[in-house]
Amino acid sequence: MIDKLLFNPIRLKIISSLINNSNCDFNFLKEVTDSTQGNLSIQLKKLKQENYIEIEKTFCNNYPKTSCRVTDKGKIKFEEFFNYLIKMKNE
Amino acid sequence: MNNIKKHIETIAGVIKSTKENLKPLSINFIFWGIFVNALSIFHYSFPSLVQSTKYSAILYWIISSITGLIFMVYYNIKTRKNIGYETHLSRVIKIIWIVFSVSWIYVIILSFFLENFNPVPSILFFLSLILIMTGLIIKFNPIIFGGIFLLLFTFYLNLNPGINLLLVNIVGVSLGMLLPGLSLFYSKSTNNSDR
Repeated sequence: MIDKLLFNPIRLKIISSLINNSNCDFNFLKEVTDSTQGNLSIQLKKLKQENYIEIEKTFCNNYPKTSCRVTDKGKIKFEEFFNYLIKMKNE
Repeated sequence: MNNIKKHIETIAGVIKSTKENLKPLSINFIFWGIFVNALSIFHYSFPSLVQSTKYSAILYWIISSITGLIFMVYYNIKTRKNIGYETHLSRVIKIIWIVFSVSWIYVIILSFFLENFNPVPSILFFLSLILIMTGLIIKFNPIIFGGIFLLLFTFYLNLNPGINLLLVNIVGVSLGMLLPGLSLFYSKSTNNSDR
């Protein structure tokens, strides 16, 4: 059964970035996903609601700073999704 | 099927986009190489000034080193913010250098309480191990060789305790940090994710 949450390209890009890195800033994710601020916020919220990622909000020089990292559940789900893609490709 | 291929390509594309940049690490090596050499040369040139009281030499080294440490921590935080992400590799390197800083503080505090305990050989020994680890992690031979040289040098230092420790510092840090740092800085592959 495919994970519908990760089937969305923007959410897949977010999770892939977070799997590859220890943590990523909001602006970096915006650049990687090539999406708007509003859209990225929505996708991050969805991933957070399903406990795939953790979001940390801090202030830096009086500006809000959002940093994200993948959770253990997110790592497992990504691995399952990736294995599914490989399996489907080989079939 | 097209969707599957597209998704695999998306994952591969994202992974390729985050590359490990080793330039800031080389700046750390160069900074500490120059900084410790400058401190050693000043101490060597003006011993009466630095060693004017019982604790003045220790304070000279501690205050200078902590100032350098604060400066480099600030530089590293700023660089990390500009990049926007932290790779697993840079996180590991950061952790092992924090461990070295803790070891350094431990040895310095110990030297306050133990009479006739010189912290330099212990610090250089820890430094050599951390250098070898860093070199192995980033797969950069000059840093590994620098660390091995420093390890052998520390061994020699323990067998010949009469040797001038300031000259030891200069030779050890130059060959262990400054030259490998410069080599890393000018290396063509400082922006290589396959390291």
